[in-house]
Amino acid sequence: MRVVYRRAWYFLSFGAPGLLIYVCFVLVPILLSVGYSMTNYSLLRPGWTWVGLRNYELLLTDQAFLTSLRVTTILTVMVLVAPNLLGLAIAVLLDRRGWFYNAMRSVYFTPMVLSSVVVSVIWTRVLDDEGPLNQALRFLGVADPPGWLSDPDYALFSLGGIVSWQMLGFCVVVYLAGLQGVPNELAEAASIDGAGPWTRFRRITWPLLAPALTVNTVVLLITTFKIFDHVKVITNGGPGTGTTATVAFTIMQEGFVENHQGYASAMAVVMLVIIAVASVVALRVLQRREVQL
Amino acid sequence: MRRPLVTLAVTSVFFVPLYVALVNVVKPSALIPGAGAIALPIPPTLDNLSAVLTDPTNLFWASLANSVIVTTLSVIALTLLSAMLAHYLARTAGRWGRLITVLLLCGLMIPPQVILVPITQVLRAFGLMTTVQGLVLFNVGYYIPFGVFVFTGFLKGIPADLEEAAAIDGAGRGQAFWRIVFPLLRPATASVLIFLSVWIWNDFLSPLIILGPGQGTTVTTGIYRSLGQYSFDYGGVFALMFLSTLPVLIFYLALQKQFVKGLTGGATKG
Amino acid sequence: MHKTLAAGLAALLALTACSVNEAAAPSSPAPAGAKEVTFLLFESPNLNAAYWDAQIKRATDAVPGITVKKVVAPAAGSRDEFAKQLIASGQFPDVHIGLQDILGFAPNLYAWTPEDLKDFECATCGATGGKVVQLPTNTQTHSNVYYNKGLFEKAGITAPPKTYAELLDAAAKLKAKGITPFVTGGGPDAFASTLAWTGVLTTDVYGKNPDWMRQRREGKVTFSDPDFKAATQKFADLAAKGYIDKKDLSRDYGATQTAFLEGKGAMYPMGSWFASPGAGDNPENKIEIGRFNWPGEADSAKLAAFTGGGLTVSAAAKDLESAKKFALAFQLDKANLDASVKADALFPAIKGYTPPSMGPVFTESYKAWSDAKTAGAIVPSFGWEAGDDAMLPGMKEKWWSSAQDLVSGKKNVDDVLSYLDDEWDKSS
Repeated sequence: MRVVYRRAWYFLSFGAPGLLIYVCFVLVPILLSVGYSMTNYSLLRPGWTWVGLRNYELLLTDQAFLTSLRVTTILTVMVLVAPNLLGLAIAVLLDRRGWFYNAMRSVYFTPMVLSSVVVSVIWTRVLDDEGPLNQALRFLGVADPPGWLSDPDYALFSLGGIVSWQMLGFCVVVYLAGLQGVPNELAEAASIDGAGPWTRFRRITWPLLAPALTVNTVVLLITTFKIFDHVKVITNGGPGTGTTATVAFTIMQEGFVENHQGYASAMAVVMLVIIAVASVVALRVLQRREVQL
Repeated sequence: MRRPLVTLAVTSVFFVPLYVALVNVVKPSALIPGAGAIALPIPPTLDNLSAVLTDPTNLFWASLANSVIVTTLSVIALTLLSAMLAHYLARTAGRWGRLITVLLLCGLMIPPQVILVPITQVLRAFGLMTTVQGLVLFNVGYYIPFGVFVFTGFLKGIPADLEEAAAIDGAGRGQAFWRIVFPLLRPATASVLIFLSVWIWNDFLSPLIILGPGQGTTVTTGIYRSLGQYSFDYGGVFALMFLSTLPVLIFYLALQKQFVKGLTGGATKG
Repeated sequence: MHKTLAAGLAALLALTACSVNEAAAPSSPAPAGAKEVTFLLFESPNLNAAYWDAQIKRATDAVPGITVKKVVAPAAGSRDEFAKQLIASGQFPDVHIGLQDILGFAPNLYAWTPEDLKDFECATCGATGGKVVQLPTNTQTHSNVYYNKGLFEKAGITAPPKTYAELLDAAAKLKAKGITPFVTGGGPDAFASTLAWTGVLTTDVYGKNPDWMRQRREGKVTFSDPDFKAATQKFADLAAKGYIDKKDLSRDYGATQTAFLEGKGAMYPMGSWFASPGAGDNPENKIEIGRFNWPGEADSAKLAAFTGGGLTVSAAAKDLESAKKFALAFQLDKANLDASVKADALFPAIKGYTPPSMGPVFTESYKAWSDAKTAGAIVPSFGWEAGDDAMLPGMKEKWWSSAQDLVSGKKNVDDVLSYLDDEWDKSS
C-alpha cells in the first residue's frame, strides 16, 4: 500500500505538472485538429458539418499535397545527410585545444542562435542573382551561374543548403561532445598496434559516436519536417507552383489563404502520423545500432 | 601542420553569410542589393542602428522588454518542469513510461503554426488569451518534450543508487533530486537553457497571436514586420536583426562551454 | 533552491502584467468616457507609423469622442492571414484597411448601406453577393508600362509602342542592344511576376469581354478557351524570347523596383502606385520615366483599373456605430485623401475630389486613367478584383505561381490553363 502511495505521489509531484501543461496546451489542440479534420470547418464562415473521412479521401489525389510531401521528403533527406556528414568532418577537424579552435567553433555555433527569418534574409542576399555567390562564380570563370532561387530546378536544393547551413552548427556541437568522450588511451593503444588513422576512426571513434548520430538524426528529422519560415520568407513556395512548398507551408496556405481549415487539419494529421512513424523508426534503428556496437 | 590552414579555409567559407549579416548593419540601404551585399562598408555608417534605436514608435525597446520577460519565465519554468518529468520517466520503467515518451515525441514534431487555432481556443476556454501567463504555459507545453529528451538521456547516465542512498538518510525523493541530482545535471541544464531560450526568443507567430494584437510585440515579430512586402530599407532590417540577435548571442556565448557537454553528456558517458 | 526560483517566478509573473500593458499604450490618450475603436493596418516605407497617426488623428478630430487603438500587421504582405488568425482567436479588430480576400471575409464584415456610400463614385464596386463591405475609396490602374526614356533612346525607339507589334518590336530592339526589355520580380512577392500577364488579359480578354470573370463563375467560359489561351501564349512567348528574364523570378518587390530605377531594364509593367514620390516621382531618380498603356493588337485604348481597397468594419465590432463613423470620417477627409495620394499615389474615387499637384509620372498616370474613363475604355484588372468580380479564394495565388511556371518554362500554356480550370472546379 505504501509503495503504491509513494508511486502516486512521485507521479503527482514530478511527472504530472509538466505533463498536464503539455496535455492541455499541445495534446488537446492536436486532438481538436483531428476533430476538425473530419469537418468542413472554415475560419471565416460560421457553422460546420461533419464530413467523416472525406477530407482524407480528397488528400489521396490532391496534387498540391502530394507534391508537398515529395518536396518535404527531398528537403529532409538533404538535411539529414549534409549536416551530418559535414558536421562530423568539421568536428574531427576542430577536435583540438587552443584559442584558435575555440574561435573557429564559435563561428559554427553562431547560426544556431539566429532565427529562421534572419537566416532567410541573409541568404536571400547571398543567393541573389548578382549576389556574392554568383559574383564569386563569375570571377572563377563561370559565365552563366545558375539562378539559385529563381530556377525551379535549383530552388529546392538552395533551400536545403540554407537549412543545412543553419543546422550544421548543431551537428558539430553534438559530434564534438561525442569526440571528447572518446578516451585517448584507446586510440593510443590502437596506434601502437599499428592501426592507421582511418582504421582507428572506423574501429574506435565511429562506434563511440553512435549516440551522437542518434541525437543529430532525430533532431534534424523533426526540424526539417516542420520547415515553414524559410519558405515563407525566401520563395513563398515558388518559383512556380509547388516548387518549394513544404507540407507545413501547404497546410498554412490551405487553412489561411483558401479558408479550408478542416481540410488543412486533415493534412496536419497525416503529416503528424508520417513524422511520428519516421522518427520512431529512426530512433529504434539507431538505438539498436548503438547497443550492437 | 596543415590542420589550422584547412580549418581556417573551411570556416571562412562557412562564415560568408555571417559576414554579410554583420557588414550590412553599417552600410547604407541603397548599397545592399545585388553585388553590394558583400562589399566593405566604406565609409561605415551608424545610421541604421540609430534609426532602429530611436524609432519614434519605440518598437525595438517595447518588444525587447516583452521578449525578455516571456523568454525568461518560459525557460525557467521549462527547465524545472522538464527536469522533473525526465526524472520521472528515466526512473519509471515499463509501458506507462514508454507511452508518455511517445506522446511527448508527437508534440516535438508538430509545427506550432499548424495547431495555433485550436491552441487559442483552449487558451480562451481557460481565460488565458492575451496574457503573458497564457503564452508562458503554451511555451512550456510546446517545448517540454525537447527538455525531457535532453534530460532523460543525461539522467540515464546517473546511477539511481545515489538518490536512494540519500532517500534512506531521511531526505525525501524531492529533496534528494534537488540537492543531489539536479546539480549533477548542470551540462544538460545549460543546453536546455540555451536551446529553449533561442527558440522561444525567435518565435514570432505564437506570441503575436497569443499575446494578442493589442499587447505589444516581441523582437522577432519586429523583424518580420520590417520585412514587409514594400520594404526597401535593407539597412534597417539588418540593424534590427543584429540588435535583436545580440541578447541571445551573448547569453549563448556565456553558456557555450557548459552546453557542449550537455547534449550527449549522459549518452556518451564522457 | 527551487523554492527561491518559484518565488522569483511568481514575482516575475506579477511584474509582467504591467510591463506588457505599458508597451501597448494607445496611439492617442483616452479621455474619460471615450469610445475605443481598434484599427488593423500595415506599415510600409511609404505608409509609416507617423503617416497612420496623422491619418487617424484627422479622422478622430472630425468625429470627437472616439479613440483609436492601432493594431499593426506583422507584414504588409500577410495582412490577410493575420486578420484570419485574429478572427480564429476571437480578436478581430473593429476597423481594417486593405483586406484583400473580401469574398472570404465577407461573412464577418458589416455591409455598407447606399446612404453610407453616397459620397463614393462607384458605390457598387467590389460588391460581394450584392453587398459592399469594403469602402470603394481608391482606384488603382494595373496595365501601365513605365519605361526608361534613356534606354528607349539608346535602342533607337522613337515613340512609345501603341500596338502589340510595336511593343514586340521595341522589345527586340532593346534585347539586341543587350538591354533587358521587361523588369519583373517574384520571390516572396509572387504578384510581381504577373503584371505583364494582366496587361495582355486587359486588352485581349477583358477588352473583348468585360464579363469574363462572372461567366467563369457560371461555367460559361474556361481558362482553356481560345481567347484566354491566345493571351496567355503571348505572355509565355515574352519569356520564351527572353524579353522577361526568368532569373528575375526570385527578386523581391523592393529589389525589383530598385532594379528598374537603376536602369537594369527598360520597361516596368506595374500598378499605378509606382507613381508615388517615393518611387517613380522620386526626385533622386537618375532615370527619366515615361508611361504607356499595355497595347492591344490594334490600339492601346484599354486600361485595367480596380476601385476598392478601403476600410472594412467588423460586423461584430463592440461599438459598431463608432466604428462606422470613424471609418467614413477616415476615408472622406480631404486632407487624408491628399496624404494618401502623396504617400501611395492612390486615385481617390470620391465624388468631387481632385488630387493635389504631383510629379510628372503621377500626373501622366492619372491622366491616362481620366482619359480612359472618358472614353469608356476601363476594364477590370485581372488578378486584382475583389468580391463577386474576383477569382475564388486561393485562386489568385495559384494564378501567380502559374505566371512563374510560364516564365521559367516549367509548364507549357496548355498545362497551366488546365491546371487553373481544375483548381477552380475544386475550389467551387
